[in-house]
Parts: sequence; C-alpha cells; structure tokens
Amino acid sequence: MVLTLNHFLALAAVVFVTGMAGFVVRRNAIVMLMCIELMLSAVNIVFAAFARHHGDAGGHVFVLMNFAVAAAEAAIGLAILVEIYRRRRTVDVDELKSLME
Amino acid sequence: MEAFLFWTCGALMVFGGVMMVLQRSAVVAALWLVFAFIAAAGVFAVLSAPFLAIMQVLVYAGAIMVLFLFVIMMLQGPVMEGERRRMALPLWPGAAIPPLAVLVLVGGWLGRNSAGSFPAAPPAGFGSPGHVAAAMLGRYLLAFELISIVLLVAIIGALSLGHRERNQTWS
Repeated sequence: MVLTLNHFLALAAVVFVTGMAGFVVRRNAIVMLMCIELMLSAVNIVFAAFARHHGDAGGHVFVLMNFAVAAAEAAIGLAILVEIYRRRRTVDVDELKSLME
Repeated sequence: MEAFLFWTCGALMVFGGVMMVLQRSAVVAALWLVFAFIAAAGVFAVLSAPFLAIMQVLVYAGAIMVLFLFVIMMLQGPVMEGERRRMALPLWPGAAIPPLAVLVLVGGWLGRNSAGSFPAAPPAGFGSPGHVAAAMLGRYLLAFELISIVLLVAIIGALSLGHRERNQTWS
C-alpha cells in the first residue's frame, strides 16, 4: 500500500476535528487551550505533508514557526488564566461570563 | 514499512486526542496530549522530516506540555477536580455540528481530489537540520526575524501579566 498526500490530509482533518470538538465541549479553560494545541499540531502535519509532496523545506520552516506561535500562545494564555484564577478562584468558562451578562 | 508506521502513529495520535477530550481530569488530559504529540513525531518521521520529529518531542511534548502541567498543578482545587457539570443537553447538537461540518467538507474534498502518491524519494538530506536551516536562514530570513519578535512580545506580555505587585502600585 502506497501512502499518498490524502492519507496525511485525512489524518490531519480527523485530529483537527478532535481538537475542535474538545474546544467546544470542554468547560475547563486550560483543557480548551490544550485543544488549541492539538489543532495546531494537525496544521503542522499538513505543512510537513505538503513539504514532502513538493520536496521543499519551506513547509518544515513553517512548522518551526508554528512551534514558536504555539509556545507564545501557551505562555500568554496560561498567564491570563493564572491571573483570572487569582481573582475569581476558577478557570471554568461557565462561571467566567461577567462580560456576557 | 512506511504505511505500517503511518497507520500506527496516526491511530495512536487520534486515540490520544480523543482520550484527552474525554478525560475529566486536566492532568490526565495533559498526559494524553503528550502521548498524542509523541505519536505526531512518528508521523513526522514517516514524512521524512527527522528534524521536525525531534523538535516535536523536545519543544511540544517537552517544553510546552511541561508549562501546561506546571500551571495545572499550581492552580489546585477546581482545576484538579475536573469539570463538575456536563454540558446542558440542548447544547450538544450545536457542539457537534461545526466539527462534523468540517469533517464532511474535508472528506468530500479528499474524495474528489485524489492526489497522486508522493515523489518516490525525497531529495538527499531532505528534512535534515542543515536542509531546514538553509531554508530558514535563507529564503525565510524575514519570517524568522518576525517570529523572534513574536516571542519577545510573548515574553513581555507573560511577564507583565504575571507581575503580582502591579495592582498594588497602580490602583
């Protein structure tokens, strides 16, 4: 059996959808951030698959850029969550709706 | 051999992701995510990207997930207990529709556009650190410099957010 580009795109789609469903379903803000990381990881697979398809290292470079973006996102997101936790004693998004009301 | 590795690592990655979503405890969810990321490193290896596979384990499964675990264990209490309530029943269809829509759209596109198999062998040294570095510090030098500014801004933002005395001095 020969692997094609579509195999990797399908895998990335399934992983992305898993992260997306988790983001919608979960109420814990930290787990929601982890779901975003899973979605970014799915995007990385697409980058690497197209890099292999075209034989070009540009996709690999942008996977590394994505690592940096994910690290920045995790650092800022977690810093915000720690600050929210200090004030409200919770990171449950159902209880953090003072902007909505 | 490649196909076997792809199916194994891909299945493990999806399994890790699904287990992360289903776990009520944030710590266990984070550990399943580490599992999924290590499986993703295997997928990178199948794609003849050895440098990315190593960076995936070092940076993602290592550094970023340690940051997550550190914060989860620092914020004890409700975070450690996991979610107490389930989502209200009327909201479930709304939660299911967007992911299913994405899956149907991508599946339909993939079914119509059958891409050929990969070129038989990648260029020599494809995906090695030297090959990636040549592209990163050559053609993509501007993007490389910009991403360092992103990281600098993230450091400054995290520092100013985490600075405890700020409220006492400013307000």
